[in-house]
This record gives sequence, C-alpha cells and structure tokens, in this order.
Amino acid sequence: MPQGPPQRDRDTRFGVLAGLGLAGFGLIVLGLVRLQVFQHDALLRLADQNRIRLDVIRAPRGVIFDRAGRVLADNQPSFSIVFRPAPIESTLRARTLVRSDWLARVCGVLVVDSQEVKRKVQEANRTGQTAVLRRSAPFAVMAAVEESRSLLPGIDVQVAPIRRYPEGTLAAQLLGYAGEINDHELAERLEKGYHLGDLIGKTGLERRYEEVLRGEDGAEFVVVNAMGKRVTTLEEGPPRLPVSGRDLIVTLDLDVQRSLEEAMEHVERGAAVALDPRDGSVLGMVSKPVFDPNEFSQGISFARWKQLNSGGAFPLLNRAIQSAYPPGSTFKVVTMLAGLRQGLVHDGSHEPTGCTGGYYFGGRRFGCWKKEGHGNLDLVSALQHSCDVFFYQLGLRMGLEPLEQTARGLGLGEKTGIDLPGETRGLVPSSAYYDQHFHTGRWPRGVLLNLGIGQGELLVTPLQLATMTSILANGGRAVRPHVVSAIQGVPGFKVGKPVESGVETPVQNWDLMHLAMRRVVEAGTAGAVRIPGLDVAGKTGTAQNPHGNDHALFVCYAPASAPTIAMAIVAENSGHGGSISAPIAAHVLKKLFLRDSTSTAPLSPPAVAAADTVGD
Amino acid sequence: MRSRFPPLDWPLAFSTLSLIGIGLATVYSATSVPGAHEGMWVKQLVWFGVAAAVAWIVAAVHYRFYDSVSWPLYALSLLMLVAVFAIGAERMGAKRWIEFGSFQFQPSEIAKLATAFVLARFFDHARLDLKKIRWWLPPLLIAVVPFLLVAKEPDLGTASSFPAMLIAMYFWAGMPAGQLLLGLSPIFNVALFFLTGSVWWFVGLFVGLLAYARPRIVVLVAMLALNGAVAVALPNLWNHLHDYQKRRIETFLNPEHDPSGSGYQVIQSKIAIGSGGLVGKGYLKGSQKALAFLPMRHTDFIYSVVGEELGLLGSLTVVLLYGIVVFRGYRLASIARDGFASLMAVGITTALFFHILVNMLMTIGWAPVTGVPLPFLSYGGTALIVNCIQIGLLQNVALRRREY
Repeated sequence: MPQGPPQRDRDTRFGVLAGLGLAGFGLIVLGLVRLQVFQHDALLRLADQNRIRLDVIRAPRGVIFDRAGRVLADNQPSFSIVFRPAPIESTLRARTLVRSDWLARVCGVLVVDSQEVKRKVQEANRTGQTAVLRRSAPFAVMAAVEESRSLLPGIDVQVAPIRRYPEGTLAAQLLGYAGEINDHELAERLEKGYHLGDLIGKTGLERRYEEVLRGEDGAEFVVVNAMGKRVTTLEEGPPRLPVSGRDLIVTLDLDVQRSLEEAMEHVERGAAVALDPRDGSVLGMVSKPVFDPNEFSQGISFARWKQLNSGGAFPLLNRAIQSAYPPGSTFKVVTMLAGLRQGLVHDGSHEPTGCTGGYYFGGRRFGCWKKEGHGNLDLVSALQHSCDVFFYQLGLRMGLEPLEQTARGLGLGEKTGIDLPGETRGLVPSSAYYDQHFHTGRWPRGVLLNLGIGQGELLVTPLQLATMTSILANGGRAVRPHVVSAIQGVPGFKVGKPVESGVETPVQNWDLMHLAMRRVVEAGTAGAVRIPGLDVAGKTGTAQNPHGNDHALFVCYAPASAPTIAMAIVAENSGHGGSISAPIAAHVLKKLFLRDSTSTAPLSPPAVAAADTVGD
Repeated sequence: MRSRFPPLDWPLAFSTLSLIGIGLATVYSATSVPGAHEGMWVKQLVWFGVAAAVAWIVAAVHYRFYDSVSWPLYALSLLMLVAVFAIGAERMGAKRWIEFGSFQFQPSEIAKLATAFVLARFFDHARLDLKKIRWWLPPLLIAVVPFLLVAKEPDLGTASSFPAMLIAMYFWAGMPAGQLLLGLSPIFNVALFFLTGSVWWFVGLFVGLLAYARPRIVVLVAMLALNGAVAVALPNLWNHLHDYQKRRIETFLNPEHDPSGSGYQVIQSKIAIGSGGLVGKGYLKGSQKALAFLPMRHTDFIYSVVGEELGLLGSLTVVLLYGIVVFRGYRLASIARDGFASLMAVGITTALFFHILVNMLMTIGWAPVTGVPLPFLSYGGTALIVNCIQIGLLQNVALRRREY
C-alpha cells in the first residue's frame, strides 16, 4: 500500500494550509470592515439617493482654421434623444419594450423610423451602450420628450457637440464631413475606444486627420432618479474630463477659395486647384457639384443619402484628386520640355513638316485642331498657338521614354502624396504598359503622336496638373502639395516626406518655357487671361472625351516673373479650354492681384511689370 | 469500534447545510423584486434536492473507485472541454456550457474534479521523488492542459483554480516549500513588476528565496536564467504593446478604472455592501432600487445582497461558515490515512477555497470581475451539484478515515 507523507510533516503542512486559509479569509474580513464600518456612512448616502449611472461626456472635435485663422469647421452643442439600456434584466426588458406600444410611442414623439429604432434599441441592449435615436433634435421634439418622460422609460436627452461647417458648401470635399460611426467602422475600431453613436471623420480632412481631430471622451458617474433623470454627479467617483481634439490649421486661403468657387459657379462638373508653387500649399480646391457637410452632421436620412449618390453627379467625390482626365493640350508643355532636355528642339527650331491642318503617318491622317493649318511655326509659336502637327512630329521623333521621364519628373502618373484620402494616381503609360496592351515590342508608333498632344492613354488629376504647373513655375523644383500646415500641440509638424521628383535642365530651357507659356496668354490661345498689369503664364487644353463633349482645361501661374500661385482648372464636357476654363482663372487672378474686390489677399503683393504686358 | 452514527464530519455537514440555507433565503430576497426571476428560490430548492442525493451517492461509493476511473474520467473531461468550442452555447461572449435539451452543464466543473483525482493518483506513488524532473513535470502538464482549455473559453476565474489546486497538491505531496516557491518565482516576478513597475522588488525577494531554499547549482542556474529572461523581456514587451493593449491589461488588473465596464458592477456592489453597515437593512429590506441596480445579484454578486441586508454580522457569519468548510477539508486531508484520499481532499478543498476567495474579493472590489459564482450561495443548478459532490467526496474521506 502506498504511503502518504509522514504524520509529523503532515501536521506542519496542515498548519501552512490552514494559515493560508486564515490569511485569505482575514483579507475578506478586512475588506468587509472597511466597507461596512469605515465607509458605511458615505455608501449609505449613495444607496439612499436612488441610483447611479455612467454618462459619457462627449469631447468636441478639433477646429479647422484657414491660414488666416478663419473657422472652416467647428462644433456646436446639440440635443440628442438617446436610449439608455437598463443595466439589469436588459434582455427581458428589451423584449417587453419592443413588444409593447413603447416603440410606437417613441417613434411618435421623436418622429423617427420604427425599424431603425427597433434595431438600435436591440443593439444597445446587446452591448449595454447608449444608442442615439435622434441627433440634433429640434426644440419641439425635446419638449415632447420631457413632457412624456414617464411614458418613455429608457429615453433620455443628451447634450453632444455636433460638427458645424460655417461656410456651408465651401471646400466641402476637401474638408469632408464627420458622421455617426457605422457598424463596420465600429467593428474595425473597437479597440481604439470607439463607441456606438460616436462621430467619425468619413471623408476629406475629417477622415485623414481623424486621429488628430478626435478628442477623448470623458465619463462621469451621475445619480439619477427613478425616471432616469439626472439628479447630481457622484462625489465619490470624480469625473474623467473629456479632452477635446487638436485643432488643424490648413493652408487654404478663404479668399482664393471663395473667388475660385465664384468663378466655377456655372461649371456643372469639374474641379479647380490653386497651389502656392513655392511650398506646395493648397490655396484653394473646388470640386463640382458640391454638397453641404452640415447635412451629415445632423444625421442624414437614408433617402437623402441615396439621392446624393445617384444620378451620376457624385457630389461627395473630390474630383480634384479622385477624378483623372486626359490632359489634352496642356500636356504640350511636357512634350516641349522633354524635347528641350533631349536637345531635339531649341529656340527658333522648326519641325520637318509645316502644318496644313493635318499630318499623315502610317497611312492615317492626324488632324490639327485648326483645320486651315498653322503654317510652318517655330517652337515658341507652336506652343503659343497649340499646333498639333508640330507636337505630333516632336513626339514621334522623341520616342516614349524621354516623354515618360519628363512627365513623371513633373509629378504625373504618381500620387502627389497630398494629405487627403482617396487620391488616384492617374496614368502615364510606359513601354511596359504598351507591351501589356499590344504585344511586346509590337505596339504602333502612332501612339507617340497622340501622346505628344496629350491624348491617348494619358490620365491626370487636376491636382497633378496644378503640381506640374508649380514645378514649371519653380524652374524644375518639385514641392509636395499639402493642406495642413500646423496641428495645435504638435510642434514641427510636416506633411509627408520631401518629394523626390523634379526636373533638371539648363536655365535657358526654363527661360524658353516661361516665354512660350507667357506668349500663350499674351497672344495665343488663352487671351481671356490677359490682365493688364499682371504677367501670367499658362496653357490651354481641350481634351477629347469619348463619352460626350470635350473637357476644357487650363493651367497657369502668376506673376510669371516670381510666381506665387499656380492653378489648374478642369470643366467637364463644356468645350474649349481657352474659352471656358481660362476665364475662370482670370476671375481668380483679377480678384487676387488687382484688388477689384474687398478681398484681403494675404499673398505677396502683386508684382506688376507693366513693360511686359504688350498686346498682340 | 462502532457508534450509532456514521463517522461523518459533522461540522462540515452543518456549515454546508447552513450556507445552502442562507443561499436559498438570499436568492429569494434577491429575486423578490417585482418583475423578474420570481420563484427562482423554488427552482434552487429542487436543485438542492438533486444535489443532496448525488452527494449521498458520491459519499457512499468507496474512493478507490474514483482512484481507478481517474484517467478515463480525465480524458473524457478534456474531450468535453474541446467539444465545448464546437457545440458549446455562447453567453455574454464566452463558450462555457454544453446543453442537452433544457439541461446544461459546464465541462470545466467536471474537469476540475477529474484533475483532482488524477493528480491525487499520481502523487500517491511509493517512489515519488519531487526533486526529479520525471516526477514533478507530469503533474504540471496534467494541470496545464485543462487550464489552457478553460482559459480559452474564456473563463479565467475557473481556469485559475487548476494552478491553485496543483500548487497545494505539490506542497501536500511533500515538495519542499523552498523549491515550490522557487518554481513559482517567475509568477512573482511578473506580478511584482505590474504592481510596482520596477524589477528591484523581485530581485530582493529572489535573493531571499535563494538563501532560504539553497537549491542545487543546476536549479539555481536554471531559475536565474528563467527569471533573468522574464525581467529583461517584460519591460520591453510592455513598451512594445499598443496603448489599447496596455489599457486592456490595466483594466484587467484594475477594473474600476474602466467605468463603462465591470467597474460599474463593482461600484454598485460596494455601495450595497457598505450601506448595510453593522447589522444590515434587514432581511428582504435591502433598498429595492439599489438592489435593482446591482447586476447579477442572485448569481455572481449574491454576497453583496447578504452584505446589504444582513450587514457585517451576516457577512462575517458567512465567512466563518466558509472558514469551517475549508478548515475541515484540510483537517480531513491531514487525518486520512490513505494517500489518495488525503491528496484528493487537499485538491478539492483548495479548489473550493479558491472560488470562495475570488468571488468574495470581487464583490468587495479587490479582485477583477471574472464571473465566478459563490459556492453554495449563488443561484445555479450545476454549480450547486458540483459543490455538493465536492462535499460528498470530503465526507467520503471522513467515512473511511481510519482505513488504509
């Protein structure tokens, strides 16, 4: 028979175990005495005062300011009607609630959809979290709730900040909007401390800087009466105060933005971007059609949401960074610059064949936009008059690689890296791209003719065009476009890494580029931007569009001698760049530099060079 | 020598019955709030009838039987612990129950008993020498497997009763205290780091422990290496955790800092107990509203109701009754002549003691909220039956304490 431990050793070990038992129960006695003797009075008082509940104190989101400190997005208090699940027997109670006429009463008083309420109440009962049944309720609804509180157990009024965009539709896509977190987002972010009913940035800056803008909600224990109405806060459990989100200061200039929006007023669909070429800061960004982000703050109905997303207009889309267009003739500046870098063209050089309104290659006729022909133009005049035949030949002579390289050096074909979500990269075709679409090495040379004038497979976003124009204005130095210049409480904040693109070529080539682009405005296709007293360089473009009317494009920078603004404008399906998009730029430039309005432009003083403004 | 009464352990029987009586009365009081769960005490009374019958049978069958079926029972319980992941019923985010029609039970309860049997059988061996690895390693494995399976459910409260049982049985089987403490030192290491935020507290403790245990050089080097690794890895690991991961650990260690979750229950529980004062508000007179806001008042937080209605007097009485149960359990272990019986008694008593401690510390806010019911008091059929089986097993030992 096996032996247990010897009896004497057993007695010692029994002593140890009994001692541990004594210690454990002793600890409990200590805890009981502490609660029931020393803290008895305080705890009794709490027990007498009915009951205690945990309330969330919502933290306001950070404010967004323009570069001069004017408010673009802030918060305003609003009253939400919420459902608070009972902490006990919640499933039992939920069943009775949804079964009884409670639901009908709630929907009647709140004027909300009953299916929606049912879903939210069940969800709240499951998770134990407060559900927002109606955001920013009008006064009448609040009064109705207060009147019939006793008939509406679980229903309460909560003060919560909502987002306010004082300028309405202004720069709506850039700012984005913040709305109530949906189930999908909540599941993704549960670990980051998000709760049912939280606001979350959905698009634009609100989304990109969600982590910065979002504050940290506070919490407090409150004593409530039997009807669930708050009586006082709990002294024994001090509240955790909310920490508001950090403020953003954006590079946007409200004056530029306003004049850009005015100028774009009659454009149905399209986008415009204004950059400061010196550092890449976004001065203005417009995408048409627009929407009002305030609609989302107050809780948008499903019907309205569907309406916004149907009909093909897609107002929520930021066309400035999310839509890619063929660049059309604006791309001729790329072809010209690439030719200069290759030594294929120089000041006064001509192409072999003059323009007779078309050019024959590979048994096919490639037309010039000017049917009667330009004659035999030199390099600068060819850009000035946007002669297609000239650039067909230059593209053909140059081949794909130099063109692609210069285009990429000017920031096309890659994301600019702007601090906004959803940017698209566009397309600058490489030989690998053509190898894939035709057979390796078997693609026709004809594509080069089309690329030379900015047609074919090329796709660029308005922001990329503005970036390209900035690099031209800078004489090859690239900058990263960005929207946020500073975050409150984050010293030395900088967006992204420094850019690596850019174009290197001798200074006389840049001089020629500037000259040619100024000629476009002075005596070429962009006469609409001829502003006495201001020296503007630009290029028009009219992109053929297989789905409808041509897109009208225009890029420019000013003042040409020391540029402080670079713009790109795209108006969808509206005709010629020179007649549609150039006047939009002209309107903005006049407002900014000629002070013909009450504007308080914080840009550098206009560099007026009267001698340069010669007529035709 | 024969007496008229069977040699039951009468103090143990008396305290158990008293606790069950108090439990029934408290369940009645806790569910007397109009609206929900009325009549639960009747159900619990029926459960008690079943439990008493089962306990009677468990006590009547000779413990040699449990010894002989220990391994098959252990294997079966592990099988059920695995099955619970596949066919278990999920409640409040945890899969702990297996259902047969309207009957349901927790496999972890059966695993607890089976593990106690297997460990007792293993330790009760003539050539047992806990200084040798082939003798101390198998018990560790026997306990770790069900521990991990139950922890995964997740049911950390029940799971941690496995290591508690193991440690007590190591000790009872004759492992030198120094060696045992040294083996547990990595746990002290982690615990002290989280409590104090510095490794130096543990270094002091460890040096003292070495001086006391005077281990062999191999053991010394191994423990030094193990603790060194823990001490180096822990702060690094901690600093590499995401903020939310840190917060989760901190909430586990200190739930009151998470006011939206279990901190709420704890505050309500403390208010209920504290407001009871010395003599309580009187049976059935607990403030209805405070009660209604006390979650799980008839199950996990039933001790709060005792504290509120019967005051310090009542809650201390309950502590005293539990003290008798635990004391008698260990006492039976020390007077049983048979090795298996003695070891089994220690395992079972420790598991009971551990559950009592974890639940009571939770209701007074000194332990995390882990969802462990209070033995004999909390409402719940399976738990009551299993707890009565445990008492039945202790009585089994008492009935045959003079046998070899």
